[in-house]
Amino acid sequence: MKLTVNWLREYVDCALEPKAIADRLTMLGLEVDAVEPLHAGLDRVVVARIEEVTPHPDADRLVLCQANIGTEVVPVVCGAPNARAGLLSALALPGAKLPGGEIRRSKIRGQVSAGMFCSGKDLGIGADNDGIVELPAGMTPGVDIRVALGLADTMIEIDLTPNRPDCASVVGIAREIAGATGGRLLRERLPAPPALAAHGLPFTVVVEDGDACPRYMARLIRDVRVGPSPAWLRNRLQAVGLRPISNVVDITNYVLLTLGQPLHAFDFDRLAGGIVVRRAHPGERITTLDGVARELTPEMLLICDQVQPMAVAGVMGGGASEVSDATVNVLLESAHFNPVSIRKTSRALRLSTDSSYRFERGVDPALPPVAMEMAVRLIHELCGGVVCSGGYDLGGDTIAPPPPIILRRRRVCDLLGVQLSAERIAELLNSIEITTTVDDAENMTVQPPSFRIDIEREVDCIEEIARLVGYDAIPVTLPRVPMSFAPVDAGRSLAAAVSGIMTANGFWEAVNYSFVSPAHCDILKLAAEDAARATLPLLNPIAENQAVMRSLLLPGLLENTARNINYQQYDVRLYETGKVFVNRGEELPEETRMLAAVLSGRRNPDTPLLYDQGEKVDFFDCKGVVDALVAELRLQEVTYGCDRPAAHADPDQFCRVLLDNVEVGCFGRLLPAVAQAYGIKQDLWFIEINLDALQAGRAATPIFRELPRFPSVSRDVALVIADEVRGDEVIRAVTEMRQKLVEDVQIFDVYRGKPVADGYKSLGIAIRYRSPEKTLDEATVDKVHDKIIQTVLSRFSGRLREE
Amino acid sequence: MLEQLQKLREEALAALGTARGREALEEFRIRYLGRKSGFISLMRGIGSLPEAERPLAGAEANRIRTELEGLLAEKLQEAGAQGQGRRVTVDSSLPGRTRPLGHVHPVTRVMGEICAVFEGLGFTVAEGPDVELDFYNFEALNIPAHHPARDMHDTFYVKPGVLLRTHTSPMQIRAMQASKPPLRMIAPGKVYRCDSDITHTPMFHQVEGFLVDERVSFSELKGVLRVFVSRIFEEDVAIRFRPSFFPFTEPSAEVDIACVICGGKGCRVCKGSGWLEILGAGMIDPEVFKSVGYDAERCSGFAFGLGVERITMLKYGINDIRLFYENDLRFLKQF
Repeated sequence: MKLTVNWLREYVDCALEPKAIADRLTMLGLEVDAVEPLHAGLDRVVVARIEEVTPHPDADRLVLCQANIGTEVVPVVCGAPNARAGLLSALALPGAKLPGGEIRRSKIRGQVSAGMFCSGKDLGIGADNDGIVELPAGMTPGVDIRVALGLADTMIEIDLTPNRPDCASVVGIAREIAGATGGRLLRERLPAPPALAAHGLPFTVVVEDGDACPRYMARLIRDVRVGPSPAWLRNRLQAVGLRPISNVVDITNYVLLTLGQPLHAFDFDRLAGGIVVRRAHPGERITTLDGVARELTPEMLLICDQVQPMAVAGVMGGGASEVSDATVNVLLESAHFNPVSIRKTSRALRLSTDSSYRFERGVDPALPPVAMEMAVRLIHELCGGVVCSGGYDLGGDTIAPPPPIILRRRRVCDLLGVQLSAERIAELLNSIEITTTVDDAENMTVQPPSFRIDIEREVDCIEEIARLVGYDAIPVTLPRVPMSFAPVDAGRSLAAAVSGIMTANGFWEAVNYSFVSPAHCDILKLAAEDAARATLPLLNPIAENQAVMRSLLLPGLLENTARNINYQQYDVRLYETGKVFVNRGEELPEETRMLAAVLSGRRNPDTPLLYDQGEKVDFFDCKGVVDALVAELRLQEVTYGCDRPAAHADPDQFCRVLLDNVEVGCFGRLLPAVAQAYGIKQDLWFIEINLDALQAGRAATPIFRELPRFPSVSRDVALVIADEVRGDEVIRAVTEMRQKLVEDVQIFDVYRGKPVADGYKSLGIAIRYRSPEKTLDEATVDKVHDKIIQTVLSRFSGRLREE
Repeated sequence: MLEQLQKLREEALAALGTARGREALEEFRIRYLGRKSGFISLMRGIGSLPEAERPLAGAEANRIRTELEGLLAEKLQEAGAQGQGRRVTVDSSLPGRTRPLGHVHPVTRVMGEICAVFEGLGFTVAEGPDVELDFYNFEALNIPAHHPARDMHDTFYVKPGVLLRTHTSPMQIRAMQASKPPLRMIAPGKVYRCDSDITHTPMFHQVEGFLVDERVSFSELKGVLRVFVSRIFEEDVAIRFRPSFFPFTEPSAEVDIACVICGGKGCRVCKGSGWLEILGAGMIDPEVFKSVGYDAERCSGFAFGLGVERITMLKYGINDIRLFYENDLRFLKQF
């Protein structure tokens, strides 16, 4: 909602500066978005009198004027036909910022010009461009042109909340300002409507749908001269961003903005036999004022003549009865429509107008006669129309006042936390024309005015009181509530623990959109039966690459990786914890919290170059992260399976993570072809873990074990065994012997190549022995160690490596 | 004997005072503390003293010896530091050998800070589904179909009646349906609106909070949010509540803080107003209580919702919301 301060002051007695008015409005809940002085660029344009005109020595069509600007007389070159001695006009001095550009001191064909005389168009205040502005005699040279022409004004733009359609009008805002400042609402400026009788009129009005159209007024104005509006009206409309069209249309817009009541003017002679307010017939069409042919559906309310639709009620008029320069007789409509009906129609037609905006939020049903009267008076004044006495007002007598509300003082004080007397409450409400009857010290009856469709309940009145007291005047206290123990959300704390482990391992957290391109499933070559293919599409995505809810986190991280590599960030370690969504048809989708991570580039990306050996990450860096998660989260019974490859992973470097033999995730090297598809040309390893599935497998509180009291003894041995024997088989072969003294078994070296024969490898094993009861002697250890080695060698048909 | 020991000590201290350099100090050691030094022979003599004098003399001898050894060690260290010997010193200006360490996303970090403030005030934390029913997102929050307030939410739909939540407020309904007052809870999470430009992304994060009990007042809402703002921003940052409209609260408020960029003088970020809007709040509307079967006469409560990105941007001076979702390491590594 835009209005100007001068316009506002026509309806409220308020001397505050524009900025102060804006601050008051904001603190009343009418948030001001902008305060703009109008015609700010005209600050260097003044009234000037041409003292003398002489021909330009070097140009036939130019003259040289001596312009009196009060303090001095300056030379101005001018080409206007009406430049003459004695004329008072508007002179733009150097520095003036006109709509056409900034004025500079210049030489025109050798003659100095200290400014430019302006036409109405030059100043941006009219279309007149035939000559320079002719000001009435008696104006003082040197005066700011905005003051001289009454253009000095300030535009205020308010971001209205949907509950306040009453403030979509100058008078509505004036009422609020009056209430907040103690100023007076200048009611007498609003015309008093006469009683209307419908007999003897040359047209009929029939309302077929009284629910959708509770009130319909129509009056006829004859012998109207359609033409441009006077400057004051054009300026007002332009100031709030409306384009002047013609006097009749401008008047309807002016009344709409002043009062908040949408009006519509029909060319009476193009209506066949009067008005019928009815729902559209199936298949009916109308071409609206914007030139668009629109299909109508039977739920849309129309204003028709006896033959065809003439307007979409409360939304937009039709071209067939549009007021034009040829119009002589005008039928003016001022009506009240059902908000839901208008909103549905406006939505269905994708057509929102100043009229539909107000109707769908709720216009004061008592307003049509006031608006009608204001408009017919203006049409009479500005367009010379003859207003036919009488008119229709269908439904006006059936509109009941809103039901009264019982307001309890105690409730007000309790809900706001502020002490107010019944008198004070009444005073506050009365200040914005809400009438009250104080029943006793604790109770009062509130009569909501018809223009406040948002006040229906006690709590609505309390909000008004809070607003008027001022939120800043309400004290600041803390709640007194019983102590309670807040349970911890296990999912959240797991995600936080995972974040801690990932960041400690050098990963940066990424956050990606929950919606992705549907193409990822194919790019990742997911199997047809993969659950992640059951994506959930959006009905109204904003882009094709955000069309489905993500069923995997990996694609987002791969796109992030590609982007980072593009920006020369080659060492990428990113992780994300977040939900994925799997479509379950009729039910809400399954939302599962996942972890995904990618690692690529150097092993020690943030290590100073001095120590960086340039090693790249490999499979075991990736596995190490999973190992860290398993250890830190105390996951029990985790195994890694590599028997079933995944379509998007390198089959030689891929493991599934099993918790109690149930798959909870996987990790491995991304298939180079898939990486390429994401624009990644370097090796990349990924991890995907279902966090929700981990909850069950987490061990409870750790149980303390006594610290060892006796020293350990270590023995290393190098075994030559067949290449296909996996490391963990050898370890397991040792641990499964259940030798009590064995404390730890580790592989410390894997070697293939000479002198080890082809098809074999040398495996270095370190075994640590310890007894809880005594310091071990060599002989005891040797005995156990030899037994273990012999068992392992015979199990895998190996031999000791000779040094 | 004690006299002799004392005399020897004084002599030794004087010698040590004049000894310069490692060689002189070595000489001193041999002369006063070495095997053949007078001091050692004196100590050997202690054994031949009468039994009554022995402990005292022994203790004194040991004290002096420890003292001299300590002083000598200090001197030796000094001599070393002066570069007398060939010692290798590190160039301490070279970088340390750091291990790579990552961080959480700035939005996660600020979300954690926000949650921590409310957890400290005893609020429970709970999360709801991102894909939500129209009932929870709108209907039960007093936003019926065809209500103009729906224009405030550009909604992504999955199918009729099922949508991506446009705010975290549905958790109010889910929580109130699940338990009776008193309740105090915050619900952090992702929310979605079909809107995308320099200040809007189609997904962003909110934290919803609410408290329901008997006779909860607007002044308590002000108190809780004052605490919150002081913890997240400066302790004494100016804060103002101004009336606004949300269908599920009445009275409703928007909360502004003095612009953290210009301190309230007016700048580009606060559009010259000196204030920055950081959250919406209000007293829970009785219609909301009715929709969950609470007695609106018996209970009251407040609710608030804040945008995490906005607060993060203000906190760190980030000027483009889209940076949060590009996951550019050059951005992430700044936090």
